[in-house]
Amino acid sequence: MIQSKGTSRSVKKSIRLICLNLFYICVCFLGLVPILYIFILSVSGGSGALTTGLSILPEKFTLENYRRIIVEEPFLRWMANSIILSVGTMVIAMGTSVLASYAFSRFRFVGKNVSMQILLLLNAFPQILSMFAIFRLFRLMNLLDSHVGLIFVYAGSMCIFSIWNMKGYFDSIPIEIEEASKIDGASNIQLIARIILPLARPAIIVTAVMVLIFVWNEYLFATTFMLKEESYTLAGGLYQLQANDYSRSWPLFSAAAILVSVPILVIFFCFQKYMVSGLTAGGVKG
Amino acid sequence: MRKNIRTGLSLLLAGAMTATMLTGCGQSMADDAGAATATADNTADIAEETTQQTEDSTKEQNSETQASGEAVTITAWHDNDEAMMNALADVVNERLASENITLRFEKKADVTGQIRLYGTDAANGPDMYLFAHDSLGGFAEMGILEPVGNLISADKEKDLLPMTLEAASYKDEQYLMPVYYETLLFMYNKDLWEGDIPSTTEELYEYMVEHTDANSGTYALVNQHSNSYNVAPFINGFGGYIIDKDANPGLNLQETKDAISYNKKFAELQADGDYNTVTALFSEGKAAAIIGGPWLVSGIKEAGIDLGIKSLCDFTLPNGEVMTPYSGVQCLGVLKYAAENKKEAITRVLEVLAEPEAGITLAKEFNCAPANTKAYEDADVAANEMILAMEKSAEKAVPMSNIPEMGVMWGPAESLLAAVNKSGEDVDTAADKYQEEALQAIADMH
Amino acid sequence: MKNSRKKFTPWLYNLPAFILIGIIVLFPILYTGYISFTNMNLYHWQDYTFVGADNYVRALGKLNSDFFSALWTTIGWTAANMILDVGLAYILAVGLNAEGLRARRIYKTLIIFPWAMPAYVSILAWRVGMYNTEFGLLNKILVALGFEKADFLSKNVPAFLSCMVLNLWMSLPYMIVMFDGALQSIDRSMYESAILDGAGAWQKNWYITIPSLRKVMAPVVIMTTFTTFKQFDIVYLLTMQKGSVSGSTMQTIITYAHQNAFVSNNYGLSSAVSIVIFVIIIAFSMWTNRAAKET
Repeated sequence: MIQSKGTSRSVKKSIRLICLNLFYICVCFLGLVPILYIFILSVSGGSGALTTGLSILPEKFTLENYRRIIVEEPFLRWMANSIILSVGTMVIAMGTSVLASYAFSRFRFVGKNVSMQILLLLNAFPQILSMFAIFRLFRLMNLLDSHVGLIFVYAGSMCIFSIWNMKGYFDSIPIEIEEASKIDGASNIQLIARIILPLARPAIIVTAVMVLIFVWNEYLFATTFMLKEESYTLAGGLYQLQANDYSRSWPLFSAAAILVSVPILVIFFCFQKYMVSGLTAGGVKG
Repeated sequence: MRKNIRTGLSLLLAGAMTATMLTGCGQSMADDAGAATATADNTADIAEETTQQTEDSTKEQNSETQASGEAVTITAWHDNDEAMMNALADVVNERLASENITLRFEKKADVTGQIRLYGTDAANGPDMYLFAHDSLGGFAEMGILEPVGNLISADKEKDLLPMTLEAASYKDEQYLMPVYYETLLFMYNKDLWEGDIPSTTEELYEYMVEHTDANSGTYALVNQHSNSYNVAPFINGFGGYIIDKDANPGLNLQETKDAISYNKKFAELQADGDYNTVTALFSEGKAAAIIGGPWLVSGIKEAGIDLGIKSLCDFTLPNGEVMTPYSGVQCLGVLKYAAENKKEAITRVLEVLAEPEAGITLAKEFNCAPANTKAYEDADVAANEMILAMEKSAEKAVPMSNIPEMGVMWGPAESLLAAVNKSGEDVDTAADKYQEEALQAIADMH
Repeated sequence: MKNSRKKFTPWLYNLPAFILIGIIVLFPILYTGYISFTNMNLYHWQDYTFVGADNYVRALGKLNSDFFSALWTTIGWTAANMILDVGLAYILAVGLNAEGLRARRIYKTLIIFPWAMPAYVSILAWRVGMYNTEFGLLNKILVALGFEKADFLSKNVPAFLSCMVLNLWMSLPYMIVMFDGALQSIDRSMYESAILDGAGAWQKNWYITIPSLRKVMAPVVIMTTFTTFKQFDIVYLLTMQKGSVSGSTMQTIITYAHQNAFVSNNYGLSSAVSIVIFVIIIAFSMWTNRAAKET
């Protein structure tokens, strides 16, 4: 009796799992349709890539577009630039914002809520409108056409976002854990390094990945502030490739789009397992 | 109370920080300007020295001083076909190799926007840029361009087509150096088009009605029917205009409205009208003809299409006039700071470009219609069907307006066309609405 | 002594971030404010002078009925997107965390794909690959099913919905990832005790999951609301890019500002318009803030 109840429950459970799996397969497929479309374009040869028919598979399969981008364009150079900018921005943006959101989460001080609100409002100013001012400023500081300048722009643009993104998570970490360490005589910085960083790992990693994706995909500042072809980023170089109607080649553009996205996906896949919370059930009670 | 003071203090701190930054900026802005003029002075000194050495700047002496001096690289931004620009640079560089002058083209998306930003930035900006002449007025008013007329003597330009020189001039001053020009053409697929090409637009329309099946995706003629540049052949032919030389927009003129209504009839048989859509339809063999420019040719040839060309002026409109496209003249502009720093070298580059050779190269390899009349004496150029068609159009074509107000007209004009062609709005109400918008945009410029 | 040091500690932590924000975010706003009092335009590019509040008089003149319809569109746009964004992301994230779902890592990676693409690539891909009348997949399906082709972007309501679908496609991955991270921060033992009390799936969601998520997710949702409010790329590239104007006249306040001030290259005027709109955004967010607190 008990056993049969158990099996019926497990049958029910596996049916539910199958449904759930089917559901996610559908969701993923629907979400990926536009990307599949881009992919198919990228492996079709010639200019007849935009077909009016409802064909799923390309008429002829070719990797020519990928070869052209990797070989004929300074692809590796652009990729190296993207990596430099992403890493640089991540270090600066995360360094400043982890400190700040820790302060906002843990300290009680006058002007705390007001500051948080002000930051949020400042962030409401559309960034595109800031370009001219930053241009003027960087010209004086001689930061145009330099990666350092761009890193500051990106880090500054993502700083408020990062603070807000992590503060909520920091709040959810029980203060008792810290107090225990404080009694042990740990300083605040040590606290952050030893307790907060590991505990808030999911939020920090998600935020860092967000910063990375932002930098990786940003093209407007990258093409306006960088002047030489060899100093473009991937997204910027790609934008230059297609910006002009007269030179736009959809298959080439699609191949480039896929190539730009793949590194992000790899990174995401690798970091996924670290995004599992450091908060165990025991840790909370302790 | 104390609490408030403290909040105030912390905010003040942040404020003070930015304030010092701002004042710091103001100061360094002045410093920077000073430094810029200082370097300008320096280079002016050097330039003076060179001019002293070459009292009368004949070519030989010039090349001597340049060769003994250091190499000069001239950078030019463009938003064009890279192979084409490199071919043009090769012509110049070959000629000026002995003078140690190199011309380098760099492709930039949104050239006009970039020039607006970098046009006063001697440290980072280019020396020259190549773009269609319609952006001239704005740059001239900004005061960032050195008139080309100040750099090159008129007799070096005597072979240039008067139409191109006119397009390169603003307020009686020749600012730009015309290189080549382009007009829209009627391009057709010889394998798909049945019978002769009609000579009137009415016959063309009849052909389109018979040979278009939108649901199966086959079209007789496609055009970017909601892009004002592509509808201009109708508007000009009907006697309307987008903007006149005194900066009065003409979107709700009866002539313009008639042209737009007439174009709508064609638009209904011309697919979506987006650039990518129409070019893909044509290169895929789904459309028998397209109204487009020479920039499409390389893609079309790649698709293996047997291309036929006709001038739009070969089509007669119902009012007896012919279709009259805009002409766009691709010109080089010289930035002021570059003219101060590299005057000699830039003059030499312009002189080479004014000669027929550059035009012949562009014509032979890229089907561009050269600005230099002598270039057409070359046998290959004279035999190029496409260039002939453009030359024919050029006699009638209306050069795009190059007054600054032209820059804000594209938006309202395109919105008007899209409203009529795509959203099915009434021509009269839409024309009044966008005329109003255009007037507002022009007023906003000042 | 110790006390005063303590007072400054938080600001010490904040200082690096504030310096960075001061340069990249605050300075441009102040600079824009400065330019808004000058006549910097094509005709006074380098010799601009102060013109007082002239530009503001003109900017306020732009706050006409067109502006308010753009404002309402923007509010509707933000509300609709946020409700769907948060709702769908919550459901999908909870499902992903269901016990026994082995393939969740693969699903997660696939789901974030849209996020890995540069925004303009996604938008152009949708314009050509999905909505286009000739090559768009949606129209191909319509034709295959025997319907007439439809132009999704030529009228306001379909264009609004098309933009919204695209916006959700682009923003859901981020929301899902954030929800997913937040879900994992919930103490498992709470569920265990709930099950002992005989709570069903609904009750678990309602009494444990949602309340626990609220605090973690609030900042994320607020940030995304602002991003959605000032969204420009999607509406602009889908319906009003030069050379590809689609015919719809849907405007958000940012596209309205762009069209009314920026195309004219009058930096003084467009700066004034920017500041006015910035003030409106601030007022609006304060109003919603207060409204949220009162309820």
